[in-house]
Amino acid sequence: MSRAIEVEKITKTYRVKSRRGLFKSSVEFVEAVKGISFTADYGSIVCLLGPNGAGKTTTIKILATLLLPDSGSARVAGYDVVKEASKVRENIGLMLTVEKGFYGKLNGRENLEYFAALYGLPRDIALKRIDHLVKLLELDKLGADRKLYEEFSLGMKARLSLARALLKDAPILLLDEPTLGLDPPSARKIRELVREMAHRENKSILYTTHNMFEAEIVCDRILLINKGVIVAEGSPEELKDKIPKLKVINLVIKASGDPGKPLERFTFRKEIKQEENSVFNVKIYVPRPEDVLGEIVKTLVNSGHEVVNVRVEEPSLEDVFIYYSEGSI
Amino acid sequence: MSFTDILRAEFKLEYNDMLRRKSVLFMLIMYPYLFTLFALFIGYAGGSPEVFVEKFGLNPVLYLITSSYILMSILASVDVLLWRPLYDSENGTLVYIISSPVNRLKYYMALPFPRYTELLLMGATSILPVYVYYYGLEGVLLSLLVITLIAVGCVLMVPFAIFVAGVCHRVGESWRIINIVRPIVMILMGVYYPRFYIPLIGYIIGSLIPSSFIVEIIQRTLLHLESNTHLLMAIAFTLFFLYLPAGAWSIKAWEVKKVKEGVKIS
Ligand SMILES: Nc1ncnc2c1ncn2[C@@H]1O[C@H](COP(=O)(O)OP(=O)(O)O)[C@@H](O)[C@H]1O
Ligand SMILES: [Mg+2]
Repeated sequence: MSRAIEVEKITKTYRVKSRRGLFKSSVEFVEAVKGISFTADYGSIVCLLGPNGAGKTTTIKILATLLLPDSGSARVAGYDVVKEASKVRENIGLMLTVEKGFYGKLNGRENLEYFAALYGLPRDIALKRIDHLVKLLELDKLGADRKLYEEFSLGMKARLSLARALLKDAPILLLDEPTLGLDPPSARKIRELVREMAHRENKSILYTTHNMFEAEIVCDRILLINKGVIVAEGSPEELKDKIPKLKVINLVIKASGDPGKPLERFTFRKEIKQEENSVFNVKIYVPRPEDVLGEIVKTLVNSGHEVVNVRVEEPSLEDVFIYYSEGSI
Repeated sequence: MSFTDILRAEFKLEYNDMLRRKSVLFMLIMYPYLFTLFALFIGYAGGSPEVFVEKFGLNPVLYLITSSYILMSILASVDVLLWRPLYDSENGTLVYIISSPVNRLKYYMALPFPRYTELLLMGATSILPVYVYYYGLEGVLLSLLVITLIAVGCVLMVPFAIFVAGVCHRVGESWRIINIVRPIVMILMGVYYPRFYIPLIGYIIGSLIPSSFIVEIIQRTLLHLESNTHLLMAIAFTLFFLYLPAGAWSIKAWEVKKVKEGVKIS
């Protein structure tokens, strides 16, 4: 069997026309995706993790046959997204922005019935499937099955949207930031179900997020994407391992003046964040903390700063992300 | 993929929307009467009723109210098909429609029917009393005949409307296009002016619209003119079938353009 998703060097550049004055208009080019490649298998969750504007939605749209790539190729369920779009459409469940995408004057159940008809589900099967999904996503408990969509909370909207993605029991799910802005119970429910769909029902799931914590707990494999490029990939653990064996010295300092100055003589990568008026959080990435920790603390104290707390930590996924998107540590 | 399932879904959508939106319900009830008033106003502005009777041998009230009803009903498909994709785009539903495997021709064929039924039913309440007033009991039969013919005209109009909508959407997605296309189709159908009296060139262009032949049948019936109903029907049905592939093609062309640009999420 072929892989669930195969993406090869796809690129996409948007043309944006903008008016400049009365008669002039200029065309700008936004390179949203710059030749990314990856694969995803059945029974696992692959995460596209990246900040806003990284190209996550663009990638999902290309795979969902809603946007043509400029170059490169992509196959979903073994079908080419450009040449065999209708075959691809039969095999995907899609969830785009959670805020909209349903009819306001229909209730939850009626909306699902509508899309079941569009997806070609025979009516008796559709009704059974909807009963099942309404329970699975606890739409009935929330009263969302009988309530008009226009009265839904964001959490209900997201649940209904996932229910639609699951309607035709497609082997591949494309979920674009499915928990964005949700209340914690809804977010938890969705994450839980997504994991279940992959591991129990053997679906292949492409899941995008800009939330490290989420990627770490939901996904089996993470693709770090930034500015249209996949900068690293691996399991959450592997990604952390890939950082040259560095530890993070995490200091909380009550500073008199700029704590960065005295630290300048340490050439390791540093990150200094002001927390309150005179309280700073300093992260220093070093290979062997035991060699330099004493020296660092002494330097700070000698320059009149007060070191409130010191911790030596393993790098978090966020550290990994910063490492890969901004070059080396 | 069954057409009846899609049709059922569309009916549910349209009727729920109508019943749960009070302003729409109100407008729908008022629509035929407003339309009639408007038509009568135009009619009287164009000349006195006596001239009309002398020229066409038919009471202008009867004629105009029938014409309004025909237009209102038959043009609904053009309206719905031009309007719906724009609405779905705004509503965030278009991405799910385009990324669905639904058979496009079946889907777009189903779109106008719920609105048709609303308008045919509501409109009937405006023509039935007028027909009875002028013709007595015979008016009931006549109005039923006219309503049936209009219903046929409605169905025959759909593939043509799909074709027109696809071409319009491909050229430019805009609400304004409705206001340009609608009057053109309206004139070419030859509803307000008996079709066989318009200049030949207009008649030929109008003949591209399948339902124009049904309109002609209705007009000839009302004016008690000889007509070759079978021939007109045959032409209309032939055109209907010819527009099926044309409609599928034009929708496809629009979608190709849409996907090239990227279907907007909101
Ligand atoms: N339809 C569009 N037209 C022009 N630029 C776009 C369009 N959609 C996205 N972009 C731009 O492409 C880049 C990637 O966007 P997107 O794929 O939405 O990123 P993400 O989903 O990771 O936030 C961004 O710079 C965004 O502004
Ligand atoms: Mg996005």
